[in-house]
Amino acid sequence: MRGVASNETDFLPPDVAFRVGGTIVGNTVEVRWVIADGYYLYRQKIEVTAESPDLIVAAAQLPAGVIKTDPYLGTQEIYTQQVEAVVPFTRFDAGAHPIQIKVTYQGCAEAGLCYPPITKVIFPGAGAAAAAQAAPSVPHPWEGIAILGGGLAFLLSGLVLRKGRKLDSPAA
Amino acid sequence: MNSPGLRFVGAALIMLLGIWAGSRLYWVRNAQYHRGVPVPAGQASVPDPRDASPDAPGSAVPHAVVPDLLPAFALSDLSGKPTSVSTWNGKSLVINFWATWCAPCRREMPLLETLASEWADRGIVVVGVAVDYPDKVKEFAGRFNIDYPLLVGEQDALDVAAKLGMNSPAFPFTVFADRSGEIVALFVGELHRPQADLILSVVQNLNQNRIQLPEAKQTIARGLAKLAEQASG
Repeated sequence: MRGVASNETDFLPPDVAFRVGGTIVGNTVEVRWVIADGYYLYRQKIEVTAESPDLIVAAAQLPAGVIKTDPYLGTQEIYTQQVEAVVPFTRFDAGAHPIQIKVTYQGCAEAGLCYPPITKVIFPGAGAAAAAQAAPSVPHPWEGIAILGGGLAFLLSGLVLRKGRKLDSPAA
Repeated sequence: MNSPGLRFVGAALIMLLGIWAGSRLYWVRNAQYHRGVPVPAGQASVPDPRDASPDAPGSAVPHAVVPDLLPAFALSDLSGKPTSVSTWNGKSLVINFWATWCAPCRREMPLLETLASEWADRGIVVVGVAVDYPDKVKEFAGRFNIDYPLLVGEQDALDVAAKLGMNSPAFPFTVFADRSGEIVALFVGELHRPQADLILSVVQNLNQNRIQLPEAKQTIARGLAKLAEQASG
């Protein structure tokens, strides 16, 4: 056995008890926590803020939680299993920076263990529907390079055609 | 290149190459803006390694590496006076780490009060270590009339927790040491009467030389596992 008698493996590490991820859907980020059985998150302790320099986020919209009454902490709203925060955002640099969101949350195990507040920066991925809609509507700086490449190719091809015509003319 | 047909094909190829190069640049560059894993609604994305803290576990749960002996440390008491753990040399210690925001920590305090008074004449001392702001702890201790000694600290208390093997601590957790400073048990989570009685009776046997340390640890480990089994069954 290990050096000291312990029950520590009765509990999950915080990143296993509370898994967080995000998805971009249109102009919102959906931040989702999957909560292990027997664990819960406090609604009041969830915070979502912008991490990217070009991003402004509105207050997170959270669903109603389950009321938990604790003789010492009073009435608290908690989430079990899963919770999703909808966070509207605005960007003002046409997408020059990846979207980064800072999330803070705090929770406990029903069996009697509480984790200190956890803060993470997440990189939300584009949702399938959102990617299909958002990609054409957002002008991207590299679109200019694509157009420039096409234009340059058009000019070069014109030159080739013109050069051929000059060479042809004496023989005409 | 004298044939008009060949010239036309050459021009068309250059044009296509230019368009391909431009669009390739666009898509390669743009791919960086879609990092992360797209997931359908109603599911969480798989954990991204960039989202994880450095000590985030993968498949294995990291274990606390608890030292054999209580480390030397000093923290402030509620009046701000530095207090060394050596103050209780020769006593068995129940060192309970807690925080004011932690509901299970508050729930177990009446039990700790009871244990402190029940075991005082048998050389066992309960010491609370609050990892919190001193003002909050002082207010809390006054409101709930906590009689056993309390130490308080922020980063310095976290450093003590780390010395005890709890690098990213969750609360409460309690360390039990015998009178010679040997750490016998680490109990993570809210302490209940059966677990406390089990551990303290073994510590008492150890102090009275009725059993040796390895046997004491094994007895506690087996007892805790049995109690956990009963609780889940």
